[in-house]
Amino acid sequence: MRGALQAVALWGRKAPPHSITAIMITDDQQTIVTGSQEGQLCLWSLSPELKISAKELLFGHSASVTCLARARDFSKQPYVVSAAENGEMCMWNVSSGQCVEKTTLPYRHTAICYYHCSFRMTGEGWLLCCGEYQDVLVLDAGTLAVLHTFTSLQSPDWMKCMCIVHSVRIQEDSLLVVSVTGELKVWDLSSSINSIQEKQDVYEKESKFLDSFNCQTIRFCPYTERLLLVVFSKCWKIYDYCDFSLLWTEVSRDGQFFAGGEVLAAHRILVWTEDGHSYIYQLLNRWAQMGATLRTFSGLSKCACPADGGVLKGTVYPHLLCSTSVEENKSLHFVMGYMNERKEPFYKVLFSGEVSGRITLWHIPDVPISKFDGSPREIPITTTWTLQDNFDKHQMVSQSITDHFSGSRDEVGMTATITSSEYIPNLDKLICGCEDGTIFITKALNAAKAGLLEGDSLLKDSPCHTLLRGHHQSVTSLLYPHSLASKLDQSWMVSGDRGSYVILWDIFTEEILHTFFLEAGPVTRLLMSPETLKRSDGQILCCVCGDHSVTLLHLEGRRCLLRARKHLFPVRMIRWHPVENFLIVGCTDDSVYIWEIETGTLERHETGERARIILNCGDDTQLIRSEPTLSVASETHKHKSVEQKTSNSHQPGPVPCPSVQLESSCKVADASSVPRPFNVLPVKTKWSHIGFHVLLFDLENLVELLLPTPLSDVDPSGSFYGGDILRRAKSTVEKKTLTIRRNKASCSSLQTEAQAKPSEDTLVLGDSTSKFSEENNGIKRQKKMKSSKKAHPKPPRKVDASLTIDMAKLFLSCILPWGVDKDLDSLCTRHLSILKLQGPVSLGLASNEDLFSLMLPGWDACSTEMKEYSGVNLCSRKVLDLSNKYTATLLHQTGIPRGLESHCDSVQQSDAIVYLLSRLFLVNKLVNMPLDLACEIDRPFKMETVHSKARFPGSDILNISSFYGHLKNGRNECHTPEADLSLLKLISCWRDQSVQVTEAIQAVLLAEVQQHMKSLRNTPVSSQPDPVAEHSICERMQISAKMERAEELELQCVGKSSPLKTSVSPVKHGNDLNSANFQDTEDILDRCVLEESESAGIWWHRGTVWNCEIMTIHSSVPKDKLQSRKSHQA
Amino acid sequence: MATAMAASAAERAVLEEEFRWLLHAEVHAVLRQLQDILKEASLRFTLPGPSTEGPAKQENFILGSCGTDQVKGVLTLQGDALSQADVNLKMPRNNQLLHLAFREDKQWKLQQIQDARNHVSQAIYLLANRDESYQFKTGAEVLKVLFPCQRLALTSLMDAVMLQLTRARNRLTTPATLTLPEIAASGLTRMFAPTLPSDLLVNVYINLNKLCLTVYQLHALQPTSTKNFRPAGGAVLHSPGAMFEWGSQRLEVSHVHKVECVIPWLNDALVYFTVSLQLCQQLKDKIAVFSSYWSSRPF
Repeated sequence: MRGALQAVALWGRKAPPHSITAIMITDDQQTIVTGSQEGQLCLWSLSPELKISAKELLFGHSASVTCLARARDFSKQPYVVSAAENGEMCMWNVSSGQCVEKTTLPYRHTAICYYHCSFRMTGEGWLLCCGEYQDVLVLDAGTLAVLHTFTSLQSPDWMKCMCIVHSVRIQEDSLLVVSVTGELKVWDLSSSINSIQEKQDVYEKESKFLDSFNCQTIRFCPYTERLLLVVFSKCWKIYDYCDFSLLWTEVSRDGQFFAGGEVLAAHRILVWTEDGHSYIYQLLNRWAQMGATLRTFSGLSKCACPADGGVLKGTVYPHLLCSTSVEENKSLHFVMGYMNERKEPFYKVLFSGEVSGRITLWHIPDVPISKFDGSPREIPITTTWTLQDNFDKHQMVSQSITDHFSGSRDEVGMTATITSSEYIPNLDKLICGCEDGTIFITKALNAAKAGLLEGDSLLKDSPCHTLLRGHHQSVTSLLYPHSLASKLDQSWMVSGDRGSYVILWDIFTEEILHTFFLEAGPVTRLLMSPETLKRSDGQILCCVCGDHSVTLLHLEGRRCLLRARKHLFPVRMIRWHPVENFLIVGCTDDSVYIWEIETGTLERHETGERARIILNCGDDTQLIRSEPTLSVASETHKHKSVEQKTSNSHQPGPVPCPSVQLESSCKVADASSVPRPFNVLPVKTKWSHIGFHVLLFDLENLVELLLPTPLSDVDPSGSFYGGDILRRAKSTVEKKTLTIRRNKASCSSLQTEAQAKPSEDTLVLGDSTSKFSEENNGIKRQKKMKSSKKAHPKPPRKVDASLTIDMAKLFLSCILPWGVDKDLDSLCTRHLSILKLQGPVSLGLASNEDLFSLMLPGWDACSTEMKEYSGVNLCSRKVLDLSNKYTATLLHQTGIPRGLESHCDSVQQSDAIVYLLSRLFLVNKLVNMPLDLACEIDRPFKMETVHSKARFPGSDILNISSFYGHLKNGRNECHTPEADLSLLKLISCWRDQSVQVTEAIQAVLLAEVQQHMKSLRNTPVSSQPDPVAEHSICERMQISAKMERAEELELQCVGKSSPLKTSVSPVKHGNDLNSANFQDTEDILDRCVLEESESAGIWWHRGTVWNCEIMTIHSSVPKDKLQSRKSHQA
Repeated sequence: MATAMAASAAERAVLEEEFRWLLHAEVHAVLRQLQDILKEASLRFTLPGPSTEGPAKQENFILGSCGTDQVKGVLTLQGDALSQADVNLKMPRNNQLLHLAFREDKQWKLQQIQDARNHVSQAIYLLANRDESYQFKTGAEVLKVLFPCQRLALTSLMDAVMLQLTRARNRLTTPATLTLPEIAASGLTRMFAPTLPSDLLVNVYINLNKLCLTVYQLHALQPTSTKNFRPAGGAVLHSPGAMFEWGSQRLEVSHVHKVECVIPWLNDALVYFTVSLQLCQQLKDKIAVFSSYWSSRPF
């Protein structure tokens, strides 16, 4: 795993679909959590006035969410667990929106209960789960691992619902469960904790048939400790908890189905239906009323004490007090819940979520009463809200990446809805297919800037996009073949539309090369055959169509090879048999069709077990080696196929099969497997054609690209080299991402560490040793790379410097809290040429391969305290405090005003940007560090030796701190390391106070910018920064090139193990050769690329040698050896 | 562009008419048909419990294999549980006849049948629940709002039903792959009245429409054995030579006997599943035709 990627979401005008399948309110009544059919969770903030506003969308599941539950004592840790249809479980911190734990179990849960018994249990407690499996599973709430099961002795079956009974009177916690066949079972909880922990079988204490099917809810009344409410789909019943005798049955009226219920108070219950109605009943006790009259003249009432179970029988009957309802729309399904009051100002809230994504709240009065005439009173809806409401209300901030096209499209008289899009990273081009059949091609960075920033009018007016007209119906799929098969022509682009046309385009000349007509319904997916497929005439384009057929097209020959149209069910998976030229098609009904490509005949059709074997045989390397998988969409193979996934992995909209979900998760993984500083992810959702785009910024990669030296001389394995090899490897063996992954892991230790961190929980030491072996691998690999270097003169750096600076500027624009200080804003715009945002952007964080969270438009209006700052891109008010603290530490510790000695303005500008970025990177890294590693921090802080690093568990910290120190050195400033450390400590402190990463980044950026500008205000500056921007880099590189000798010095630094204290001048491993070329690199990428690669050859050679040296030092354990090596070198 | 728009408006009217027909004539018919088929399927899985009169009826299945007659068995199925078993095993070494039988007080739940039955009843519940919701209404407003709504609801209903049916079918078609220690640890070994000899392992499962019984004969591997010990992974049917560690002993499978018997009603159920899955998919395909015309959601 790489470090967290910063993301910015460009939502567009339409909210993404969110069909609610599960809903809950957190214990503090500040957040509503909903789970959706699409697999995302949404966090909604609930104000004290019961106003709802969507806050954040969490991506983590690839299938429909089945249930949500509290996973901790909420006052201590705001954790919520979610389970999905395909067995995935995620634990979320709902205050930060981050996924804390994720696992996939072979169980589908329908209900989860959190149980913790503080005085008998160690650890985080249990999650009691039931679902489509026998009995009740016990999961560890900390690790989500299966601990044991509560087994039933009699007629084990699936369990439908459950509740935990804390009874003060009985002094024993019990678990009440109802099975699908309607059998009620009771397990002792508190007394069986030990048995469960020792994995002994625990059987039910009691069981009873309830005589009804489809139990929805079971609830214990904690007020009377006597009554039990059991809601079935056709009726609800009241039982006596003492002997489970039936007291009352209320059958549903006019075809309604009950969905759940809750006990409001003693003898008062609330029952709701599937179509969104709810009813409050008062349970009247005939006997008690009678008893009251009797009590006056006899002691009979004492005999009626509840100890005798039979007494209650037949005496309870319900009286309808109140009801709630929603707009009549029966075809929609509601999920509802009820939250009881705790203390002021908490409310009794009934809440419901709909398939349409609407949330409705009712404030239930403390004492619900019926009308005077005894008829039920209708409780009005308090609030209702949808995602789209958020989008409508804050439309200004929900820019779409293509909004600026609309100006040019007004002549046509309609705004285009984007139906598919594809990003080509190599060319920084974004291709968008529209509903009316036109296709745009635009520079992604420019489009993003035009959409987000203000004052960039030049960009908006410039005709920076090209328009391809050829389709007559909406464009449903796009593919850029060159990114998958480097042999293919760079200018080719393929698009498919709803009318079954596939067009081959030349994107440079903008003309149609060929049009294919498939006659097979909408073209839902376009795929390329893998390079391993042995064919004399090149690769094949594979089109998956709406009528479940698959067509193979030969692009070079402009002909159709095969039409496979016998599939009864949607295509789920496509495999290629490289040796025998077979096309293997897996369908959603788990059947497999094998087609012979040459003859176009159906070779075999298999179902069941054999089909499974055929589809999975690629995983067994003995059968067919390296058979590539190109999965269309599947819940089981999704994760495996991530590596081979192309960047265009979005979902065919009109072909929704049960497993088909929003596939953005895969794409994040894809983006992280190929490090690029800037990436655009087109995200498309199930059910609709509406998509949105996510801009991903890789801070680490940005810093690496802009500041090539620091990691190489302090961080011994030289992640810059790693990064570069990686980039080169990518261009040579574009498709074999797997090897790249390994490369990445071995080459750059910083990245390795980032990957290792989350898994390092227990085996930190072991991991560090394995890291070294990986590094050794890396050396070998690098050598190999070197030798193959001449054969493949490919560009080592694809992203040229000015583009990178632009990316950095855009990133800073998005992060910087604008409008906090007006002067600061204008200074930033003038001196750093960072442009102001049009409005607050939706920031996000891609923390892991397929986990990320995105803010929704209007997130800034969530909390009332932020009112005064609304319209400002400020995460939370905390940012300002943090920023002030940071500034204070900065000033207090260093006492040196920051400023640049350099006189050249542009150098200063890009330097400043680089400096800011590196700072942010550091903060990002520190705050993201897992807690158990953080405990180790103190030690490395005290022992500032680099030897210890090799064996030290917390070596990350040192790496970072030394890296950090280097950044300082790089700027020719001689701060004492103590000052840095105090800042580091401050930031680490933030992490312990659970400050969110984005908050921390914003705070530091604000403080640093303020500091920077303070120094600038004193010196007058000439104001023409922009055009010189790229020159600055060249100059820097020239300077650096002269300092080659200093590198040897650095090596010694590592040897001497005191890089923090030596003031090493900044060194670039760049060559003066390529610096000369940078002046005209703006548009003609190719030329630059060639020249650059030449110079890189020499540079590589040197780099590798040093790398080996450093790495051996790094990994060598004994000190004396290190010393000897040092002397040897000298 | 203007003509294209006009054309599509006319087309839209036709499509609305067609969708109206689909809702009127097709959806109800298909949903009813689906319900009938699935009810029929669920009747095959006789539901246990007090709701049905008396205990579930017992069926005897005589298991055999076409090849040898070393293992013969009669298994009695009561609903989703095995209530009795009589297995005769001819030991290949000494031609002795070994008789295995279930304990009287115990039943062995066939998890696969139970799961399949539960999935089917969930599908039935889903269908029964929604049938009435597709009452057709007319009016201009309805066309804009209700159509996409119903299309969405229908498609998601079909998805949910298909998910349950696929799972039901998969439970029957794919028996669990167990490792030998898992088989040894399973409760089935404790089901027999004269306890199972330590050199025997028994497994019962459903494969497609067949009730299968496998008997593994084991022999202990000597600690001094030169054989390369490699524990076998999970499999439905282990082959002779598979090795595993149980307790402190290393064991090897010497003989495998597999006998099976077709359960006719399982065959019926599987056919019903396949038919109803196809029905669902066809209905979904028909709805999908309209999806591109009301692409945006109504909400």
